[in-house]
Amino acid sequence: MPRLWILLAAAALLRAQSGADLAAFDQVWTTIRDTHWQKDAPGGLDWNAMRAEYRPRVEAAKSTAEARAAMQEMLRRLGQTHFGIVGGYSPSDEGGGSGTTGIDLRVLNNEVVVTAVDPGSPAERAGVRTGWAVRAVNGRALTIPTLPELQLTRAMLARVSGPVGGTLHIAFDKAELDIELAAARGTLAEFGNLPPTRVWYEERRLGGTAYVRFNVFLDILRLIPSFDRTLKACKPCDGLIIDLRGNPGGIGGMAMGMAGFLVNKPNQRLGTMYTRDAALNFVINPRPPVFEGPVAVLLDGTSASTAEIFAGGLQDLGRARIFGTRSAAAALPSILTTLPNGDGFQYAVAGYVSQGGKALEGEGVAPDEEVLRTRQGLLAGQDAVLDAALDWIRKR
Amino acid sequence: MNRRTLLTVLCAATWASAADLPSAESLLDRFVEATGGKQAYAGHQTEVARGTVEMAAMGIKGTLVRYAAEPDHYLVVMEIPGIGRVLSGVKDGVAWELTDLMGARVKSGVERAEALREARFNSYAVWRDLYLKVETTGEEAVDGEDCYKVVMTPAEGSAETVYLSKATGLGVKLTLTASTQMGDLPAEMRFGDYKRFGGVLMPTRLTERSAGQEIVFVLESVEVNAAIPATQFDLPPEVTAARN
Repeated sequence: MPRLWILLAAAALLRAQSGADLAAFDQVWTTIRDTHWQKDAPGGLDWNAMRAEYRPRVEAAKSTAEARAAMQEMLRRLGQTHFGIVGGYSPSDEGGGSGTTGIDLRVLNNEVVVTAVDPGSPAERAGVRTGWAVRAVNGRALTIPTLPELQLTRAMLARVSGPVGGTLHIAFDKAELDIELAAARGTLAEFGNLPPTRVWYEERRLGGTAYVRFNVFLDILRLIPSFDRTLKACKPCDGLIIDLRGNPGGIGGMAMGMAGFLVNKPNQRLGTMYTRDAALNFVINPRPPVFEGPVAVLLDGTSASTAEIFAGGLQDLGRARIFGTRSAAAALPSILTTLPNGDGFQYAVAGYVSQGGKALEGEGVAPDEEVLRTRQGLLAGQDAVLDAALDWIRKR
Repeated sequence: MNRRTLLTVLCAATWASAADLPSAESLLDRFVEATGGKQAYAGHQTEVARGTVEMAAMGIKGTLVRYAAEPDHYLVVMEIPGIGRVLSGVKDGVAWELTDLMGARVKSGVERAEALREARFNSYAVWRDLYLKVETTGEEAVDGEDCYKVVMTPAEGSAETVYLSKATGLGVKLTLTASTQMGDLPAEMRFGDYKRFGGVLMPTRLTERSAGQEIVFVLESVEVNAAIPATQFDLPPEVTAARN
């Protein structure tokens, strides 16, 4: 019904929307002026000059998309992650909202390779196996752009998703399959202005070692008790592997909350967040009974934000050994809010330095043992990163 | 004129005018009177306040219940969707916190001292017990309301500055540096929508700004002298475990 009203009142809306876009710009510009931790020059920029340059462009924009593009360009010039405009955003939208085949993939040696297949997913039912290379989707060849791993992986995953209930014809190098698109696995979780997001938690035993993997640091009331239960059941066990490959982060406080199950000494810190007014330490409260065994964390270039805060802090404290490849280097605490024109606005409110002194933004977490997955290994059903972590735990 | 000279001149100017300001003691006593007077405060032995807590910028809103009883028993229970329980309390000198996110801990040092001050029942009426030194340092308008600035220095912790309305004697703003587990946090609180409960005027809207965030607490009801079971203030088992 509101959409119908929009059609009927299109002319009036154009003027109203122009005002809303300008109000959105003012909110974006003012928010950064008032909250950015680099008070005098956010991102090294003359912020007043940015307003003088971009406000007229937003004012002259012929559409919200054009106004949004101008605002995005201004934010990109900050040169920092966690700043962005989410077009047509509504807190009531379901996150992603689109269907998935249930495959995870990475670009390995210039090939788009299946690295995991969700249990019970359409891809698993269709017989897709790890190690297969995706060549084309619905007849369109998969070209690989030059992007950092996080964005590249998201772009490739977007190609193998679509509306729930639809079907994709995917040409793998081993087979051509029609695969249906289903809702992503997990349970919908809500947190403030974030779109409802599906959260899943997976645990299993690999011999005497506990292995956990979860897709995002959200859903405090389900994820933290699940982690607690995994650790309580891990007695006796040789060690713990936390697989954060593909985990984009989430609620920053969860890094401290989950570390509390692994660190038994009070007042230990994962790192420090620097806002404009204060330096806030990410302090860990031990949550007895604390798991005392060896901990391995698996990372890759798609592990971001809270995943980096968690892994980097535990590494600096000597509490975890990191396996895999360098993380995404995108670790700024941020807020997502709504703008007068209906768009979402994500903005970072602080810098962050890990306990060992590393600025995770731009540097990321370097693994203690760099291990690369290979297509040959995946085809053989192996995960070289996981195997290296298991080997380290066994040797201890 | 260099910066030091300018500072000296400004300090001198402040000093000269400070001599004409009302004493901090008289302003704080006036505040107690304006909010109901000592006798009204003395009529309160317990309070149960219910309301909401909201971080509008993040789209987060939850509920809060604050239990307080003489002499210094205190418990705040917040339930926030997506975050879960946030509990903090004081009993018999033990100040603690328990959250679904971070687990349990016992406060110490300056943070504990601040929690004990906050837990002191009818703390406004007994400000002389809580602060070693109070001083009127100037005048300032807060949102167009002319106020006196009173700096209150406790035995432990940093000084707090309260802005008291010249017209009504009521508190309008408080600035302080809060000691938290994560570090010292400059904060500003605005008080508004005063309402009377059991003969005492209380601000029912408190807007706190710190670390670039704004949190609004709204009290919807305050039940005075409600029966609160003594066990209500007991330390939760997780806190007892953390204490041990």
